[in-house]
Amino acid sequence: MKEEKTKTIEEIEKMLEEMEQKKEEYFLGWQREKADFLNYKKQEFERLKGTLCIAKESVFEEIIPVLDSFRLAEKAISEEDKNNKSVIGLLMIKKQLENALKALGLEEIESIGKSFNPSLHEAVEEVEGGETGLIIEEVEKGYNYNGKVLRPSKVKVGK
Amino acid sequence: MTKVLGIDLGTAITKSASIINGEPKALENREGSILTPSIIAQTKGGERVVGILAQRQAITNPKNTISAVKRFIGRRFSDSEVQKELKLLPYETREKSDGGVEVKMGDKWYNPIEISSMILQKIKADAKDKLGEEVKNVVITCPANFDDSQRKATIAAGEIAGFKVLRVINEPTAAALAYGFGKKDAQKILVYDFGGGTFDVTILDVSPDVVEVLATGGESHLGGNDFDQRIIDWILAEFKKEQGIDLVKDALALQRLKEAAEKAKTELSSAMETNINLPFITSDADGPKHLEYKLSRAQFDSMTNDLIIRSIDRVKKTLEEIKMNKSEINEVILVGGTTLIPAARDAVKNFFGQEPNKSINPEEVVAIGAAIEAEILTAKEEGRTPEGDIKSVLLLDVLPLSLGIETLGGVSTPMIAKNTTIPTTGSQVFSTAVDNQPSVEINVLQGERSMASDNRSLGKFILNGIPPAPRGIPQVEVKFDIDANGVLTVTAIDKASNKSQSIKVEGSIGISKEDIEKMRKDAEIHAAEDQKKKESIEVKNIADNLIYQSEKTIKDAGDKVSAEAKKEVEDKITELKKVKDGDNIEEIKGKTEELSQAIQKVGAAMYQAQQQPQEPKKEEGPENAPEAETEKE
Repeated sequence: MKEEKTKTIEEIEKMLEEMEQKKEEYFLGWQREKADFLNYKKQEFERLKGTLCIAKESVFEEIIPVLDSFRLAEKAISEEDKNNKSVIGLLMIKKQLENALKALGLEEIESIGKSFNPSLHEAVEEVEGGETGLIIEEVEKGYNYNGKVLRPSKVKVGK
Repeated sequence: MTKVLGIDLGTAITKSASIINGEPKALENREGSILTPSIIAQTKGGERVVGILAQRQAITNPKNTISAVKRFIGRRFSDSEVQKELKLLPYETREKSDGGVEVKMGDKWYNPIEISSMILQKIKADAKDKLGEEVKNVVITCPANFDDSQRKATIAAGEIAGFKVLRVINEPTAAALAYGFGKKDAQKILVYDFGGGTFDVTILDVSPDVVEVLATGGESHLGGNDFDQRIIDWILAEFKKEQGIDLVKDALALQRLKEAAEKAKTELSSAMETNINLPFITSDADGPKHLEYKLSRAQFDSMTNDLIIRSIDRVKKTLEEIKMNKSEINEVILVGGTTLIPAARDAVKNFFGQEPNKSINPEEVVAIGAAIEAEILTAKEEGRTPEGDIKSVLLLDVLPLSLGIETLGGVSTPMIAKNTTIPTTGSQVFSTAVDNQPSVEINVLQGERSMASDNRSLGKFILNGIPPAPRGIPQVEVKFDIDANGVLTVTAIDKASNKSQSIKVEGSIGISKEDIEKMRKDAEIHAAEDQKKKESIEVKNIADNLIYQSEKTIKDAGDKVSAEAKKEVEDKITELKKVKDGDNIEEIKGKTEELSQAIQKVGAAMYQAQQQPQEPKKEEGPENAPEAETEKE
């Protein structure tokens, strides 16, 4: 009789130990899951910030070509038209667009007179005259946004 | 867990992918793109640049800008194919003492293996930036027709870059792995790889233990660039016809045209028509010239049809070579950016009479497959389960259908949306629909339809003993709680009396798959009409509520408001009452708006009158009432 009882206690103890182990396993899993979730939230926040930047970038990518066209238009204005009130007004709109993009964080990349740097500039042609490696002409403006080159400036480099 | 990389080391572009949080994902490089040009240069300043930076300076430094070395890796200088390619290069090459190829960059001669390793070094550094730790274990892909020497050279390039190359696998095999084919049964898979400059077709026999390449074919100069060129040629011809100006001679105009053509091609993958708009493209004696054309998808398809036919002919030939019938192919996989063109997809689909696999971005699929293989090999090495394939005791279910309650007008108001992971809870505060309403009935609903009667009722209960109060004032919180076993407990608490009542619904969350499918389909079919019905009820509810509030305001105001203001409100109330039970939603909305404005005037007048004599009393107005109201008993 007595022996049987001891056995049962042993069994119960074993069960208890198993339960203890299981509990520990689940508890740790739960803790981990909770930590994962908190970390996930933090990551999501960062990702959201990143997404906002990407969203802005895609807007810039669509609008910058419009500004390019404005610049080309400006270059094509003849001397006699330069004082035309309507032309002046249109150029003011161009300025307005430039300012709006600047306010959103878009930065122009400087190029003319600088030495060619492939991180910022893309060479479209090498031309005679001028100092070797210096940028002589800017064909298309480049832009930075949030520390990233959105588009390098297209330039002609002296040789 | 050791981080791994899969690298698609391409002739023109290199891509990489890793396993992030259990999911394979293509990695961006430092410049923010998943595409790294396989180009190396030594700049005039003696600096070494890789990728897009090397590409940007290429024109000023063609002799020291090395591209496309993949064509020479592990090959002999004397190979006729190598000789043919060498003639097209802007940089210097020579025969190495062992018969291989060497290329010159700066003052030094390099082996193509070393050049490839420089590209891989950039991939390694960028991956470290992105993943936050050094990556050692990689799987690199190569074309299916690479021989042993080319494969060994690829491994060497990886090792020089500091990687541990676990394996070199075929690009089409990687694509098949990305889709997880061949895990159970052997399958015959055709990979249709239409890239920027090349077209490859590979037929694989994939089984759980072994992947066998049955046949390969392709064209080394057929790709997306040809599609762009067709658009450019078309514009050039049109412009010449209209303006008499040949833009070919204008390098800058041509550059803009190239970019516009690529953009048009991309847009036509989703739109049926695109505008090519290039103002001030050039100028002549008459002043500036603008370029503006519309290109429809049909036009684009007809001008590029022969290119697609060529690719399909290649597929036919490759099948013929191994005397295989197209019906024997179990799966077709699309790889390469050009397969994003709808006409290419349709051609493949029509040829095989089955939908090709295209759910994984065709530009990333090879790198992703390589990353999966790298993870599997690394996990085996470390004696663990591959990430993303972890079997856990914590198998969490999702709700198959939304749960909600019935509110005023028989509308079904969702409490927990479908696809929410359980266990979870959701709660919302509701109110009464009539003055002195003593009880509310909670009807628990399951389904996606807008009207309660179209959804399934899981159970009902009544919460009694709500203290008498004007409608909209009592606050009844309804709380849904589902445990991990799918047992739903719905509790309603009257916040004033703290009286509560609850119901437990067991097992009814897990209804049969067919029922779920049917209910979802029903919801989709009826989505539009349900929405309309719901909207009409909501509009009527708002009208009802406003009438009630207006009548109350007028009554409370007594003689604080002028008779004419009162009259106006009363008139508007009568008008609204006349239309509110009809079916003309717009009319109800209009009359509601009119009454709302009239009553606001009264409110403003009362507020001003109150301001002058004394401090305004804080009023528990209907504005504080909860957003929805439960249906009255």
